[in-house]
Amino acid sequence: MSHLRYSVKRLLQAIPVLLGITSITFFLINAMPGSPVEVMLGPTATEEMITEASARYGFDQPLYVRYYKYILAVLGGDLGQSIHYGVPVTEKILERLPVTILLLVSSFTFAISVAIPLGIVSARRRNQPIDHGSRVVSLIGVSTPNFWIGLLLIIVFGYHLQVLPSNGLVMPFTPISEVGGADSRLDVLVETGRSLIMPTIALGTLQMAAISRIERSSMLEVLGRDYISLARAFGVKESVITRKHAFRNAQLPVVTIIGLQLTSALGGAVLTETVFNINGMGRLIIQAIRTQDYALIMGTTLFFGFMFVVGTLLTDLTYAYLDPRVTYEGEQ
Amino acid sequence: MSTESAETEHEQEYESRVGAMHAFSRLLEDTSAKISLVAITIISAMALFAFVDAKLLDYQLAEMFLYHPLRAESGARPLLPPVGLSNQFGDGVLAHPLGTDTRGRDIAVRILYGSRIAIQIALVSTTIGVAVGTAVGAVSGYYGGWIDDVLMRFVEILYSIPFLVLVIAFMAAFGRNLTYAMIGVSIISVPIFARLIRSEVLSIREETYVEAAQAAGVKDRNILLRHVIPNSFAPVVVQTTLQMGTNILIVAGLSFLGFGAQPPTPSWGQMLSIARNYMLPAPWFSVWPGLAILVTVMAFNILGDGLRDILDPRLND
Repeated sequence: MSHLRYSVKRLLQAIPVLLGITSITFFLINAMPGSPVEVMLGPTATEEMITEASARYGFDQPLYVRYYKYILAVLGGDLGQSIHYGVPVTEKILERLPVTILLLVSSFTFAISVAIPLGIVSARRRNQPIDHGSRVVSLIGVSTPNFWIGLLLIIVFGYHLQVLPSNGLVMPFTPISEVGGADSRLDVLVETGRSLIMPTIALGTLQMAAISRIERSSMLEVLGRDYISLARAFGVKESVITRKHAFRNAQLPVVTIIGLQLTSALGGAVLTETVFNINGMGRLIIQAIRTQDYALIMGTTLFFGFMFVVGTLLTDLTYAYLDPRVTYEGEQ
Repeated sequence: MSTESAETEHEQEYESRVGAMHAFSRLLEDTSAKISLVAITIISAMALFAFVDAKLLDYQLAEMFLYHPLRAESGARPLLPPVGLSNQFGDGVLAHPLGTDTRGRDIAVRILYGSRIAIQIALVSTTIGVAVGTAVGAVSGYYGGWIDDVLMRFVEILYSIPFLVLVIAFMAAFGRNLTYAMIGVSIISVPIFARLIRSEVLSIREETYVEAAQAAGVKDRNILLRHVIPNSFAPVVVQTTLQMGTNILIVAGLSFLGFGAQPPTPSWGQMLSIARNYMLPAPWFSVWPGLAILVTVMAFNILGDGLRDILDPRLND
């Protein structure tokens, strides 16, 4: 089966998952105490005002009608109106989304570019000091809360040494006048880079550690295979074996893990954005819950699920690209 | 036939006991696993002490031997640094070895009492997750067909919502307290165990002894409970240990955001969220609770790795 047909099939399989996410969040949110209208109108609202507003927003209808209407609206790309911000939920999400995506891309780039060399070196120098060192680093990495790494980085680099900004994230397309001390686009980009460093490390460390553990054990397994021994017997250089024969075959489990790390990274983004006061999707979801902004909670949760589904899809396609043996005939 | 099956059962039980003893003695040969086991024992003992004192004795032990973890002593000084250091609030004193928090409460005592929440989460939510996940995964893998499809789609949906977001949404709906945090964290552990058990069951289902039991007319329920689940337990034990660490991390994150144990009950994540506002004057306050989380989670991870080396021969390279 061609990759295209496979992607289409995977996309179709994502539909029931997304529908499920929508349903779970819808019913969870409707189990919340208090009605959205009461929250919106505040404590001073009279009975008539509540009844009138309920009718206007359709909250007086039975649950299944509202569910049906919500699903239809979502299918049409309408996630409803944010009560707190007074703007459509999609608008708010699109405003915050680039921030979170920048943060995620940056931390995964950091994680992968550190973890893969670390794992390979570790596997090739097995049980030598460098291996022990990198295993300790990854063990600490998977055991440390990412928000704590953030706090420690802020204490050291933000407050003590005062070399990095500890508050907010400057986006590359921010108007030059809004960035303090910037005279050109280049200054803004430098500021983006500087403000990204600490959140990236805080969010990416867990991923880095998890990936390097898998990379090491996967490389070890491949390096122990017969065809590698054969290559060695033919006198092929160790560096060539690693690069040409072992590397690609060892990456399949790594790709799987990277895909699975996406959920923890999305959850981690909520914490990292809170620690560094970054106005991204993660903070939006917390604010939505604090202000009981029903439509916004549902919209953001759905969108997080959507991001995960897209991420897994990308992982699967990478998998197919890496392993020519993978065929999807009759596969689930 | 009944005597025969009783005999095989007896033999199996005997073998698994030998297996467990053997595994345990091999675990003790591994130095790092041994250290982690000691660490977990100490932390659990701390948690048990805190639990007994908080729930049964109303902090009498704390007041007798230590400090009250919820209330400050009269004349207590806030934000004192650890012993041997000094800051604008004064010099560290031996009476408060790790310093005091914003209300002048002893940080060391609060960390001790915070261990209760961590261990409680690790035990309760992981156990529920394992139990439900095992049931779902075993049924799904053993029966296959539409049951498998329905259950696995549901598991996939649960898995697709980032877990922190799922628990927060769950707690927003039902209430912010520790019980709901634990239930929420159990729910997100379910997919992990369901998938694991299902894949194990799929391979065990094809084994000759399962076929033999089916041919002998043993009920499905009994085959699942007596043959399939016990034989797929090695990876579950490993995953359970690792999951305990993960769940402690998740609940620390929840508490940090204000969705875990509610003040004044001390928990490590919540202590960090208070400390966050005093990073400039009292950086040490942010260090200790995080260190406690790190040590605890690391102990579970090391133990899990050690168990994996012993129980899962496929991964022994």
